[in-house]
Amino acid sequence: MQAQQQAEWMWLDERTTVTLSELSRFCAMSPAEVDELVEYGALLPLAQGREELVFSAQCITPLRTAGKLRLDFDLDLFSVAMLLGYLNRIEALERRVRSLEAHMPLPGLLATQAEPNPLRSSRSD
Amino acid sequence: MKYKDYYAALGVARDADADEIKKAYRKLARQHHPDMSKAAGAEARFKEVAEAYATLKDSEKRAAYDELGRRPAGEEFAPPPQWRQAHTSAGPMFDDMDLADLLAAMGRGQRGRQQGPVAMDGRDYDTSVQISLEDAHRGSRISLSLAGEDGDSVLEVTVPPGVHEGQKLRLRGKGGKGLHGGADGDIYLHIMLKPHPVFRPDHHDLYFDLALTPWEAALGAEVEVPTLDGSVLLTVPVGTRSGRKLRLRGRGLAKGQGASGDLYAAIRIDVPTTLTDRERELFEELARTSRFHPRASPKESEHASTAAS
Repeated sequence: MQAQQQAEWMWLDERTTVTLSELSRFCAMSPAEVDELVEYGALLPLAQGREELVFSAQCITPLRTAGKLRLDFDLDLFSVAMLLGYLNRIEALERRVRSLEAHMPLPGLLATQAEPNPLRSSRSD
Repeated sequence: MKYKDYYAALGVARDADADEIKKAYRKLARQHHPDMSKAAGAEARFKEVAEAYATLKDSEKRAAYDELGRRPAGEEFAPPPQWRQAHTSAGPMFDDMDLADLLAAMGRGQRGRQQGPVAMDGRDYDTSVQISLEDAHRGSRISLSLAGEDGDSVLEVTVPPGVHEGQKLRLRGKGGKGLHGGADGDIYLHIMLKPHPVFRPDHHDLYFDLALTPWEAALGAEVEVPTLDGSVLLTVPVGTRSGRKLRLRGRGLAKGQGASGDLYAAIRIDVPTTLTDRERELFEELARTSRFHPRASPKESEHASTAAS
C-alpha cells in the first residue's frame, strides 16, 4: 500500500518532465494559453521540434500560482507572463537566501565572537 | 437556496457597467486577498466578492442573475421553472445546488437543452507540511489536514526519502472527488524542513560547524563527527584553517534512488578561555618560536620568503 502511494508522487522538479497538454491540465489553462506564454518567453520548453512541447515539472508550481492570481485578480495573459517572471525570480532569491544561511555559522557562535570589538575601542581612543 | 446580493457584495449599483464592476472587484480583491490581508475574515470576504464577480463579469450570467429579481440577501427562494428551463440543465441535482454552483455551471455548458449531468473534475488541494531533517532523509508517514467543502479531513500519506527544503510534490488523485466521471483532484504538497540543532541544509547538502583546537588544526587529527546515519571519523588535514569546509562525500540528505548529497564540516578554531600554567608556558614558547604571521600582507609575505631564501 505504501509503495503504491509512493508511486503516485510526482516530483515537481528537474527530475520530471511534463508535456504541454499535461501542464495546461495541471495549471487549469488551455493549451493555447500555455502556448502563448511560451511565445512571450515566460515558459521555456526543454526541447523544440517534437510533436508536443515538453517542460520541466519545476514550472508547474509557479504557473499554478500565477494562474490562481490571474483568476483572483482577473488578469490578462500578458500580466500572467510578467507575474511568472517575478515569481521565478522570488523563488530563485529564496533559494539563494536558504543556501547562504546554510553556509553561515550558527547565530549563537557569531554572537559570542562579535564581542568585544577591539577595532571600535581603538578608534575611539 | 439562499439569495445573494452580488451587487451589494461588490458595492456597485445594479446598472453599473462592466468597467465599474471590474474596478470595484479589483479594489476589493486587493484589499481582502489572503496573500494581501491577514485580517480575520479576509478570506471569507474575498470568496464572497470573487463569487459575485464571477457572475457579474459575464454578461450572460449577469442577465440570468438579474432575471431572478431583487430580494433581501439571505432570503430562501427557488428560481421559477421557466428560469430553470432557460438557463440550466441541472435536473434532479437542482435542489442540491446553491446559487453560485448554479451560475458557475452555466459556464461549463450545463444549460438549455443539454441533457444529463456534466463531468466535473475534483478540486486540487495546495498544502504545506513541516518535517524533520531525519524524516526527509529516511522518508516518513504524515497526516495531511485538508479543508474541503464537505468539512475537514485527514489523509495519511507516505513522503518518499529524498525531499529537501522547498520541495514540491504532486499526489495524483488524492484531492477532491470528481463528479459524473470527472477526474479526482490532486494534492500539491510543499515540503518545509524543521530547523535542526546541528545541520543546516542547502538542497541535499548539509553543513555543520566543527570546532577544532589550534593543535588539531595545525597538526591534523581524526575527529568523530555526527551524520544523519550516526557518527563517523573525519580526517582533519594538517594545517586546516578556520572557515575551511571539509567535505564528507555522500553523507548529506538522501536524494532518493540510493544517491545522497554531501556533508560539509565548516571549521572553526577555538581556543581555551582560561589557561593552566603549563598551557600558558607552552603557548608563550610557541609565540616566541613561531614565525607564523597571519596578518602579513601578500607583499610582506613575499618579501619575507625572499629574505628567508
